[in-house]
Amino acid sequence: MLNNIEKFFSGEYVFLATNYFFFFYGIALMTMYFAGVILASRAISRNKKKSRFLQVNDIVSATDIPSVSLIAPAYNEGLTIIENVKSLLSIQYPYYELILVNDGSKDDSLEKLIKEFKLERRDATFITQPIPTATVKYVYKSTLSKYTHLTVLDKNNGGRADALNAGINFATSELVVCTDADCIIEQDALLKMVRPYLEEYHSEIIACGGGIGIANDSVVKNGVMKELRLPNNLVPMVQVVEYIRAFLLGRMAWSEINGLMLVSGAFGMYPRKRVIEVSGFDAKTVGEDLELCIRLRRLMEEKELPYKVVYLPETLCWTEGPPDYDILIKQRDRWARGLWETLKIHRKLFFNPKYRYMGFLYYPYWLFFEFGAPIVEFLGIICIIAFAFFGMINWTMAVLLFTAAYIVGCIFSTAAIFMYVKNFNHYNKPKQVIELLLAAYLEPFLYHPILVYGQMKGYYKKIFRIKSGWGTMTRKGFKVSDT
Amino acid sequence: MTEAGVLLFIQCVLAILVIYWISIAITMVYRKNRMRALERIEHTFADIVSRYLYNNEDDPLLISEINDRLKAVGIRKGNRNNVQYLIRLMIRTQRTILGENYYKLKKLYAQIPPYNASFTKISKWGWYSRARGIREIYEMNQSQYMNEVFKFQNNKNVFVRREAQIAMVVFMGWESLRFLPYLKRNITLWQQIKIVEKLYDLYPKPEMKWLKRAYKTDKLFGKKLLMRIIRKFELHTEIPFIMEHLEHPDYEVRETAIYCIQTFALSTERMDYIKDVYERVANPVQQAQLLNYIYENSDIDVDFYLRQLHGDNDELKLNVAEILWNNGHKEKVQEFYYQQYPENSNLNVE
Repeated sequence: MLNNIEKFFSGEYVFLATNYFFFFYGIALMTMYFAGVILASRAISRNKKKSRFLQVNDIVSATDIPSVSLIAPAYNEGLTIIENVKSLLSIQYPYYELILVNDGSKDDSLEKLIKEFKLERRDATFITQPIPTATVKYVYKSTLSKYTHLTVLDKNNGGRADALNAGINFATSELVVCTDADCIIEQDALLKMVRPYLEEYHSEIIACGGGIGIANDSVVKNGVMKELRLPNNLVPMVQVVEYIRAFLLGRMAWSEINGLMLVSGAFGMYPRKRVIEVSGFDAKTVGEDLELCIRLRRLMEEKELPYKVVYLPETLCWTEGPPDYDILIKQRDRWARGLWETLKIHRKLFFNPKYRYMGFLYYPYWLFFEFGAPIVEFLGIICIIAFAFFGMINWTMAVLLFTAAYIVGCIFSTAAIFMYVKNFNHYNKPKQVIELLLAAYLEPFLYHPILVYGQMKGYYKKIFRIKSGWGTMTRKGFKVSDT
Repeated sequence: MTEAGVLLFIQCVLAILVIYWISIAITMVYRKNRMRALERIEHTFADIVSRYLYNNEDDPLLISEINDRLKAVGIRKGNRNNVQYLIRLMIRTQRTILGENYYKLKKLYAQIPPYNASFTKISKWGWYSRARGIREIYEMNQSQYMNEVFKFQNNKNVFVRREAQIAMVVFMGWESLRFLPYLKRNITLWQQIKIVEKLYDLYPKPEMKWLKRAYKTDKLFGKKLLMRIIRKFELHTEIPFIMEHLEHPDYEVRETAIYCIQTFALSTERMDYIKDVYERVANPVQQAQLLNYIYENSDIDVDFYLRQLHGDNDELKLNVAEILWNNGHKEKVQEFYYQQYPENSNLNVE
């Protein structure tokens, strides 16, 4: 058998084909990242200029702006629920309602909410449910005048997507923002998010996302980010760089060519009528945010209506990233399964001329590079081991190529950090920037292999049909300042 | 590919990486210095304005002294960024000051450096400079440039024409509505909002002559804008204009009409008309909005609601059922839902 394997790997064509495949895959990926840097710089600069003509202060004082409902599902979050709800209630927006969906929590979340906000139970016999969900048991409204914009839905457990759907059903606003109860949202986030809806007239905005930042070990006071700090541990620290790169380079670049297929579930704004038209989030997949965005795009393509999915470069929502490798693996395993399921659901898009760019460029990109990258990396490691075993590797060349690829990777991370430092004031101390750069340069050795492992684990579960849900995401919680 | 080739490539990418490091360092140093410079300009300007507005007769603040002080903090013709910052401060200050001091401030602005800076911008090629120039002109009420600004009202760039159209409203008030039929390009929701806001802030007394003339516009965005004006100024006499658009073939015009009508309480006859419209509007989302409006603004018309209970759309039926249920007609809702079951079925209800 060893002979057969040796024959296979030592075959000239196999060796050459493998080499060329990895080489061209790498070149293609690099070219796309490079294009991403250019497109993202253009998008950020344009966005900055545009925002001068539509300032947050103007929107605050305006009437006639679209109403917004913020929907936050909560499951067993009794420990932090009061702080989190107060944080969400303090968001600035003239026509705003908060719908907190208690998704069948088994802890005392609801009791705490009832007590703190003086909630009163309302009749839930006739809740219009354009999107079917698990049963909504009761609707609660606050009797305190300062919390009139708070509604709590108490429903049977159905998962995050189901809870969001229940909130969307209940909302009466034009726009809905889907988030998580444990996210810290910037006070002016909604005012900024609504900008594209106010400004666009050629196309309909079907989804709008904002940057999401990692805020482990940061200090929160009264639900507001008081001091943004870099995480103490390496795992969340690298995620800070990863998020900056993903949002600032990736999403902004795709947004520039209207090729964005994903608006993060942690913070996304959608027109309610369109979400209802596509029957809301798909409760059967764990990648419900990606799936919804693709479904919305498909709807517009099928109706042949002009549309846009936009992203704002500013970090508008802060979340806690997985603090250690175990939780990180669980998260990436889930994301990989979500991606698998979504791409499978929408396989019809693949090179389908009916869906234009979406069929020819965006979907294939997701398939080959977002879905395919971990597989290619995994196969790469196997090939290196196999070729090394049979003594077919020119080590000098291999080390040189690895160094080149590593430095190119570092360039993209550095470019993202540069763009962030240049345009935003979150990390403005030299020490912070140096730490971010170091984290970026350590990423390929100490973080990325774990990421690939987590993704491959997710694929493995899908291949062998191993049932797995969301998994538990233990969070440490932000540091709360009393002073 | 040779090893030498890869080595060369590594050198090139390393050079790029080093360039990025240098750029980050420069950016951080520049930002730090810039913040200090801006702070200096802000403090100096604040001091100048307060001393100018409340001038001490024993130690008067002279224009030459003001100009010297501004020059000392970097307000020079060649330093466009500083001048731009000063303009922003000037606009911000002007917005917060009213009465006699407002006119004093205008007098001051006419004598200190960035005069003409905004006008120079509008003759530039780029959209950003132009739009910014127009914005500064109307924010600082420099009506002498009115004619130059008006040329841009149909500009192909949305920001340039938006600012020019807002400038028209700022300078001409209600009369600017007469240009509405001549606008060639669509206007955004924000543009409509901004026009209405400016009109409300600067010309709070409606001039019906111009409004009625503008009714003739066949532009959909024009109709939407006019309805928003009627809503904002609560012009009860003009409600028929909104009502006649409740059945407009365009979805968005209908949507604006429904949104605007919600500001007004209507007479019984008009509410009856709305009820008729409700039955004719083909879109369930808009029907739901109208239903909500009818419910909140009129007495319970059982016949109307019962009729709707037998409609086609389940969501609307549920809404209607909720209204009847919560308004003392529980038995009618029960009767409606029970009759859907076969006569001999055994229902588990009390």
